[in-house]
Amino acid sequence: MVAPRWAAAGLLVIALGAGVVPAPAGPIDDKLIPLERYATPKARALGSAHQPHLYKYSEHIYGCLPWLDVQKASIGFQRPKFAEGDDRYFSTWIIVDQKDDPEFAKIPQARRMSAMFSRFGMDLMRRMATVHDVVTDDNVSGFSVVTSWLKPGSLAPGGQPVNESIAVFVDKKSALDYMEKRITAADLTTKARWLAFDGQKELPNLPLEIWDDFFMASFKVPNYEPPPGITC
Amino acid sequence: MRRGVIGSTFVLLAATIASGCATSEEWAEWRSHSSHFASGQHATFSLKNREGTAPRVARSDIEAARSENWWGKAITVSPDQIFQN
Repeated sequence: MVAPRWAAAGLLVIALGAGVVPAPAGPIDDKLIPLERYATPKARALGSAHQPHLYKYSEHIYGCLPWLDVQKASIGFQRPKFAEGDDRYFSTWIIVDQKDDPEFAKIPQARRMSAMFSRFGMDLMRRMATVHDVVTDDNVSGFSVVTSWLKPGSLAPGGQPVNESIAVFVDKKSALDYMEKRITAADLTTKARWLAFDGQKELPNLPLEIWDDFFMASFKVPNYEPPPGITC
Repeated sequence: MRRGVIGSTFVLLAATIASGCATSEEWAEWRSHSSHFASGQHATFSLKNREGTAPRVARSDIEAARSENWWGKAITVSPDQIFQN
């Protein structure tokens, strides 16, 4: 049983599709991986079968989490670079919209990675876990979220800004066990796999720590009104 | 004047909510990291609203603020460094 707050979020996701006024198509449609981009029959079948669910999920993020941007063509069923077989992970790539903050810059890079995933990436995984038809599909191996944000201090005049990114992959059972409190965040860390990047430079062996952070569950933009037809 | 008050209230409210909702007790810096978006531009949302009415922030306002504060294309990991098709 998924925790009540996330079950409620799931109901919202489901409700989004019920006779609503469609939000602008572009910002939602272009976040889904186009079917023609999948290289294997398994991936294409997943993408095709779950396209309506992915659309509703994308619509939910667009309407309810406006402080996040979703990378184009990133919602779908990705195969990690390290996978030997055709393991497909329900995936999302988010870009956290935040200013260049000196306090954030003081935090060591590895800690920033852990914090940004714990706060934003894990929340997305929880929301993904409410997309029932996808989660119960045996061909879906797990969840992956790529979280990117502006590297602090990279806005020097004349330079090109740099994003830091952390891509985390968790098998389905371990993710659900954590969300349903059968294992701890520390346990989840031992079961996750991740790739960390400073710009395009991979940071091998970067330690990741995951902890409970429910900021996203309560944060609201004051006076924000979701697009017509979307209830958050 | 009224617009300024509304704008200031908006920013303060956002900061208060953000800092109040963070959960990590072991990490003061992270708790105090309350900023989403490029700060300050939030205030422009309320300026678009008529005086005497409750301010409203639409998704399009956020997109506009994001565009105004876009700092250029950032160097970011490419998908093929993470995934295979």
